[in-house]
Amino acid sequence: MDTLNLEVLTPNGSIFNGPVTTVTVPGEEGEFGVLSGHVALTTLLKAGVIDIIQESGKKESIVVNWGVVQVANNTVTVLVDGAVAIRGDSESDIAKALDEAKALISSVADSHAMIASVSARVESAAHSHMF
Amino acid sequence: MANLKEIQRQIKSVSNTQKTTRAMKLVSTAKLRRAEELAKRSRLFAQKTNQVIAEIASRIQCNKVGGIQSRCFVQNDAPKTIDIIFVTADKGLCGGFNMQTIKAVKRLMTEYKNKGVNIRVRGIGKKGVEYFTFNQVELLDAVKNLSSAPDMQRSSEFMARSIKDFNDGIVDAVYLVYNGYKNVITQELHVNRLLPVTIEDFDCEKASNSVLELEAHDEEKMLDSLIAKYAEYNMYYALIDSVAAEHSARMQAMDAATNNAKQMVKSLTVKFNKARQEAITTELIEIISGVESMK
Repeated sequence: MDTLNLEVLTPNGSIFNGPVTTVTVPGEEGEFGVLSGHVALTTLLKAGVIDIIQESGKKESIVVNWGVVQVANNTVTVLVDGAVAIRGDSESDIAKALDEAKALISSVADSHAMIASVSARVESAAHSHMF
Repeated sequence: MANLKEIQRQIKSVSNTQKTTRAMKLVSTAKLRRAEELAKRSRLFAQKTNQVIAEIASRIQCNKVGGIQSRCFVQNDAPKTIDIIFVTADKGLCGGFNMQTIKAVKRLMTEYKNKGVNIRVRGIGKKGVEYFTFNQVELLDAVKNLSSAPDMQRSSEFMARSIKDFNDGIVDAVYLVYNGYKNVITQELHVNRLLPVTIEDFDCEKASNSVLELEAHDEEKMLDSLIAKYAEYNMYYALIDSVAAEHSARMQAMDAATNNAKQMVKSLTVKFNKARQEAITTELIEIISGVESMK
């Protein structure tokens, strides 16, 4: 499957940089997925989860609070304010990342429904990492 | 003999100071490495953000009748009120690091005062805040303990006030003054205008050729929220850069202090030896003349 390059940048550095097959981002007008060959696009992101499927088929989730995404020339650049990647080598690492992610979301989201939906998604993502 | 003891005491005191300055230099070296790493990582974000802003701005400028309307881009040649934000260190003992920033702020203030512009000064860092308070310059905001530990959230909150006042029309321009890191031995003073944003030239050709498609129905709204983030981020970057510069300045100052102490110990030791020799000679003369008188 064709890949595209994804780069997730925060003010504190890059947290993801590499080839992916699919990336799903929470656009302001609704969630959308980007595959290889996507048309050029620039839009704002709202708080939510970025789902990544890597070349190897490995899934990864990054929780973000705000951002801008730019798709051009088979490259996706995501500029975000605060982001937490749900990954880690041990269960305790993942649990820690999960707590951070929830704190990040509850600091920006204004509705309980949104916090709940994002929390549920990151938890399921974390579970798929653990087992 | 009292003189000998006195010199000995001085040597001890100087070499103790030397120990302290050497330790401080080592600490700064370690901290500098960390700060430098952080600044390097964060520079990438700045580049991308500037790129995206320039692209969107050019697009609006070129495609819309009347060009860009956003207040963030309109160059105002006769501002009525300006914000000057400065960043200094929380601690001293770093050579002329803080003083350079303070001088630049004062220069900027005189320049605008002569033009009859109303100035609001907002400060970060204990040293600068103390200086201006002591000299009875009114500060709109004074934040301490932020410049030694940069924090995105706190700096954003600080910046948000200027952005809001700018958007409400209370302030016409926002300047940021800080001493940034150039390399291990040099710091570079930055006087940047954060708002309105300066875009060198609108690249219309590139804008019309590019395949950029904007999803948001309101381009200017998107641009405005991006500009706010841009200003906030620049504030944060200034803090990171300033920390790196502070450590490099302190490293240098402490290195110089250690060398000076070394020189001082050297010259004091010479003085001590001379005094000791003198004492011995005097004693010998006394003994010899005592023996002579016994004969």
